[in-house]
Amino acid sequence: MAGWVKVADLSEIKRRRRMAVQVGDQEIALFLVGEKVYALRDICIHKQRNLSKGTVFNGKVVCPGHQWTFDLETGYECDQDEYQPTYDVKVEDGGVHVVPVSRTLSDAPASAG
Amino acid sequence: MSVTDAPETVVIVGAGQAGAVAARTLRRRGHGGPIVLIGDEKHRPYQRPPLSKEYLSGEQERDECFLLDEKWCVDNNVDVRIGTAVDRIDPGSRAVELVDGSRVQADSVLLTTGARARRIPGVEGERVIYLRTLDDCDQLRAHLVPGQRIITVGGGFIGSEVASAGRAAGADVVVLEALDVPLERVLGAQMGQVCARIQRSGGVDLMTGHAVEAVEERPDKVIVRTQQGVTVEGDVVVIGIGTIANTEVAQRSGIAVEGGVLVDEYCRTDMSQVFAAGDVTSHWHPLFGQRLRVEHFDNANKQAMCAAKNIVGRATVFDDPHWFWSDQFGVNLQYSGHAPQWTDLVVRGDVDSGCFTAFYLDDGVVRAALSVDRGEDVFGSKELIAHQARPDPAALRDEDTELVDLAAG
Repeated sequence: MAGWVKVADLSEIKRRRRMAVQVGDQEIALFLVGEKVYALRDICIHKQRNLSKGTVFNGKVVCPGHQWTFDLETGYECDQDEYQPTYDVKVEDGGVHVVPVSRTLSDAPASAG
Repeated sequence: MSVTDAPETVVIVGAGQAGAVAARTLRRRGHGGPIVLIGDEKHRPYQRPPLSKEYLSGEQERDECFLLDEKWCVDNNVDVRIGTAVDRIDPGSRAVELVDGSRVQADSVLLTTGARARRIPGVEGERVIYLRTLDDCDQLRAHLVPGQRIITVGGGFIGSEVASAGRAAGADVVVLEALDVPLERVLGAQMGQVCARIQRSGGVDLMTGHAVEAVEERPDKVIVRTQQGVTVEGDVVVIGIGTIANTEVAQRSGIAVEGGVLVDEYCRTDMSQVFAAGDVTSHWHPLFGQRLRVEHFDNANKQAMCAAKNIVGRATVFDDPHWFWSDQFGVNLQYSGHAPQWTDLVVRGDVDSGCFTAFYLDDGVVRAALSVDRGEDVFGSKELIAHQARPDPAALRDEDTELVDLAAG
């Protein structure tokens, strides 16, 4: 069972409010909104563009490739009804830590149909 | 969120992208009654963009093109009837009358009959492909091998995407474009030249100012003669010169049509409880103050979702800024908005670098934007267009300014 890995200082991510990091073979996009950091797999499930180059707006990140829009917390894309994998992330002692094992929340309760 | 609990039947005429998305959205928005999805193609609903991109090139499998898997349809009581032609909607009862004489009772009808490829009169044959359907694409795939010579008529998105797939497969490609600059009407001369450059850099022999005069098929080749007197030989000619809306069902029903099925911003036709969405519509667009007929995949999705919401009684205006993309020759192009004319073209980034966004301003208002390998600008561009923003052009050019920040107010 993988544990927490420190991937960045909070101060590093504060400048551009997003950062792409790599832990082993996991490419992770970090986004800072207010004081909260979100972590999603950087490579889009659609056509493999980088979410870290996308626009963050209203709690979502928009992939620059084809504008698929993922909820930062759950990775959910409501028009496609699909999930981008996400990672557990926490900010502790000025550092950003992730568990570098992605999860896809597709078994989470969603709207009917 | 309103939920209709009366067991009303919704019949969707046209089982393409818009029809399939409408069926899915009706269920997600709580419509409980029967849904019948009728299409005249022999295939279950499928997506068209891969037919000139990933499926054509072989990067994607055939079954990935399909929408609405069969189990979902069974579980969700969506009756998909393919290979079934509709004659008209009976104005009195709103029953959907099929060509075979039978009738499907309906409480609400959604017309999503789409569009068909525009054809050149008299130009047909084994070596002539009008790329629109899965069958057309399967026929074309056989020619995507080294040594084949593919001629495309039309240097627009179909022509250039087929050219891109052809080049990637090692085929020779000639593109015949009637205008002096491809896509000049939509993008203007300067951006059209950028597209021409992208095609030529990909190894395409792009011949501009060449309209097709005649096509002659021989057993071993096809010969295209242009109005300028040039003759081009190839193994296959692919024609992509636009589409014509399939308005015939609407017309036979007495529903108002002009270039497309006329709908308002709630996707309503002029017949009570009959809606329309997608390529077939000429829709009143509140953002642009005019009617539009577009062929974008995204419109089929968004307008179908909007129509479905209106069908379940949740009044929703369709005022999406419009967006389409093209992936060709390793370049990602994205266009949002609608600009039939413009007074200024403002560039963010650098055109020569091949990475930029061009904003089309009409009297100071951002009406459209073309991003070339700068998809990260698209969200902000759509916000600018949706807000009818009048930003300072210097701010648009300034890469340290966020586009979304220029949109509001």
